[in-house]
Amino acid sequence: MHHSLELYDIHLRLGNVAVLQGISVEAAPCEFVSIVGANGAGKTTLLKIANGTLRPDKGKVIALGHDLSQYRNLNFLRKSIGVVSQKSPANRLPIRVEEAVLMGRSGKIGMMRRPGSEDRDKAYEAMRVAGIEAFAKKLVHELSGGEQQKVALARALAQEPLILLLDEPTTYLDQVSQSEIMETIHSIHHERKLTTFMVSHDSRLVEQYSDKVYLLQDGKSHLIR
Amino acid sequence: MGLLELLSFPFMQHALVGILFAGIAFPLIGVFIISLDLVPLRFAMMHVALLGGGVGLFLEVDPLLPGLLLCGLASLALGPISERAKIGLGTASGFFMTLTLALAFILFYRGNIHVLQAFSILWGNILSLTRGDLVLIAIISTFIVGLVLLFFKEIQAILYDREIALGVGIPERGLYYLIVFILGLSIAVSMRMIGALLIDAFVLLPAMAASFISRSLKQLFLFSSLFGLVSGLSGLWFSFVLDIPTSSAIILVGSVIIIVCGIMKRRFGVHAKK
Repeated sequence: MHHSLELYDIHLRLGNVAVLQGISVEAAPCEFVSIVGANGAGKTTLLKIANGTLRPDKGKVIALGHDLSQYRNLNFLRKSIGVVSQKSPANRLPIRVEEAVLMGRSGKIGMMRRPGSEDRDKAYEAMRVAGIEAFAKKLVHELSGGEQQKVALARALAQEPLILLLDEPTTYLDQVSQSEIMETIHSIHHERKLTTFMVSHDSRLVEQYSDKVYLLQDGKSHLIR
Repeated sequence: MGLLELLSFPFMQHALVGILFAGIAFPLIGVFIISLDLVPLRFAMMHVALLGGGVGLFLEVDPLLPGLLLCGLASLALGPISERAKIGLGTASGFFMTLTLALAFILFYRGNIHVLQAFSILWGNILSLTRGDLVLIAIISTFIVGLVLLFFKEIQAILYDREIALGVGIPERGLYYLIVFILGLSIAVSMRMIGALLIDAFVLLPAMAASFISRSLKQLFLFSSLFGLVSGLSGLWFSFVLDIPTSSAIILVGSVIIIVCGIMKRRFGVHAKK
């Protein structure tokens, strides 16, 4: 399987606004690619298109060697694409950290089947890597924004993805924690040979970790590094 | 008259069986409503059920059947309609709510349906459940409990965050629509048991109380069912002891449980404990 992610000539209108007007970005296998741009530039929208949550009006997305437009149901692909969202769930549902991380295994476990000891081991390993093992029994909504971000990262890792999509993973963190989590992400990227796609508004932060950097501006993409 | 003597009457036996099923199963729907913010949908379904009742009175058939049929159809249609029209489920529910209410009033007017007859749909009567009603309640209750038991892992992810559920490879849209469908049917049946105005007694109040003291989704489901059962059974008993309407008695017990759970949360930090 090709661990690459390619987006060609992506167009998308949301209401009357042409958010994306011919975006082309690609990440070769094991590459760390960042997309920077101002708030509202369409970065999060682009990530949603990359994992098939949103369908573009025009253009082609090829993930892991599959043309997404050829499939009605993309669940088989999503199992191999880990997503770390910018925002944590807003509700106050009583979900423990270990349960939230174990959710990452759901696609692999299959419908109506319960997680086994191997799944729990993988969830705990992901929590250890993300540095939240000590919070395993706490409720997610009791954690700080930064800790919740690490829960999202651990969930994505528990999924054992081939592609990792990161949506501003350092938003809620102070500067020290920002560097810390970026180092963690970078070492995971190398250790697990992931193809990593990250969007951020902070070009200085991502530059040192990225193989390639695209700038998203006025609905277009520009390779700047 | 003693409790055992009361239980010798068939209407009491029917009420008891109805409460046993609905008390355990319907609060699980309340957990869905609270977690997925489906309150507008619940309102819409109550009005659709009212229209169904109106159709029943107009055609002189059992109001439960058209109520079930219309709620089933509306709950199947609401999700896809809101998605295609790119409007929220809340907005689509608002549209259904006003449209069905207007249609119900037209039926009441054109069918010369007396206001007290129409009001009986809003009030319901747990003491008038027939064997057929019980079979329906048992089927829907079993379906709800089965859904939660079989798909707990998937439901947990959907209630936590639909986007996360989709992202990890769960067919969340199909399960979400199934939840909405079951909600519609439960509301229609609850209306027969306890009336449109007091549906929350079985559906929402137990889940609200449970949300104050639960520290996991499993606890939330279990406490909801427990509170639904306790408020249903004790409400039935109090209604005879105090000679008050059964629906109101169930609501009162449910409200007391909420207050007690709220106090436990505030005073002992049951839920906020770290």
